[in-house]
Amino acid sequence: MTETWRLITTWGAEPAFNMGLDETLLRSAHAPPTLRFYSWQPDTLSLGYFQRFADVRGTDRAGAVVRRLTGGGAIHHVNELTFSISVPRNHRLYRGPIAESYIRVHGAIARALQELGVDPKLRGDDALLSERPETGMCFHKSSPLDLVWDRRKGVGSAQRRGKTRILHHGSIKLGPSPLEEEVATVASTGNTVACEAFAPILAGALAQGLDVTLEAGGPTEAEREQATDFGARYIDPAFLKRR
Amino acid sequence: MRPDDRKYMESHEWAKLDGETVLIGITDFAVDELSNGNEGDLVYCDLPEVGRQLEQGETFGEIESVKAVSDLNTPVLGEVVEVNNEIEEHLEILAQDPWRKGWLIRVKPASKNLDHLLDAEAYEALIAAKAQ
Repeated sequence: MTETWRLITTWGAEPAFNMGLDETLLRSAHAPPTLRFYSWQPDTLSLGYFQRFADVRGTDRAGAVVRRLTGGGAIHHVNELTFSISVPRNHRLYRGPIAESYIRVHGAIARALQELGVDPKLRGDDALLSERPETGMCFHKSSPLDLVWDRRKGVGSAQRRGKTRILHHGSIKLGPSPLEEEVATVASTGNTVACEAFAPILAGALAQGLDVTLEAGGPTEAEREQATDFGARYIDPAFLKRR
Repeated sequence: MRPDDRKYMESHEWAKLDGETVLIGITDFAVDELSNGNEGDLVYCDLPEVGRQLEQGETFGEIESVKAVSDLNTPVLGEVVEVNNEIEEHLEILAQDPWRKGWLIRVKPASKNLDHLLDAEAYEALIAAKAQ
């Protein structure tokens, strides 16, 4: 019998709520393993947890700015499907070297993208055309485990390992962003898909690839309240400019 | 076998009595998990200010590698009395010597009793179970 995960979908949510709900799922003592799909209203630039605010280009060109709990570079959340996975720290998906957990999740994402006609693969040692490390953007800096197509990075992901749970963030580029030029998107391959249409395809690929059953549900009332409480700090200038 | 002169948390921090204080660091397993054997993969570490009061189990800092940010958790209740500031600039120390030079903070504990933590044998068993 496969394990059952909760599937939460929140389209067009406020940036503070998006980050607050992910922190709620990371800190929760009782939440089931949860896969979450979401999008942002307005378009939002998220800084990596340790990034210096001044090192990121474009903070004045996005609809909102937040700082994520996960590390890595900044992401402009527009024309993309954002996901988070939150599971207990000892979950089988995240046992062993961190690299292996990325390979498992990215393998499922690759299969979902293939259904759209995209042909992604792990970057490995390839040199990319999307490298622009001076911008501070996640999609302009790559590692061997990143998913790429057309020699450009198209999926960004990062993990936070808490005391009892793990939070895995990811962004899959469906269309262009003015702050992330030259990155791979589904649209750049001549295909078109909205995040709402891609979500069930990715859900199916993740369920199959990770051997889990997904059960649609929403955050509990207590989780919503906690998300609102946690969320306030993500847009607080003191937190945004802590570095 | 990991050093048996200290105690361990399931989240891979260690605590070692040193006179009236407790030294706190992270284990070689935690470092390897974050850096995958490449010390250059560790990129940032945030440690608390001297004087901060820590609750047992509370997050006292964070460490970032190329692909994950990990919480640093407090094994004992107490006050931070010293911080190893060299670590923030030289994260490679954690890979080279997590047991001695790689200590992170020194805490004046409310109690010197560390019985609530794992001994080296129990920690080894935990690591062995993770490998399966």
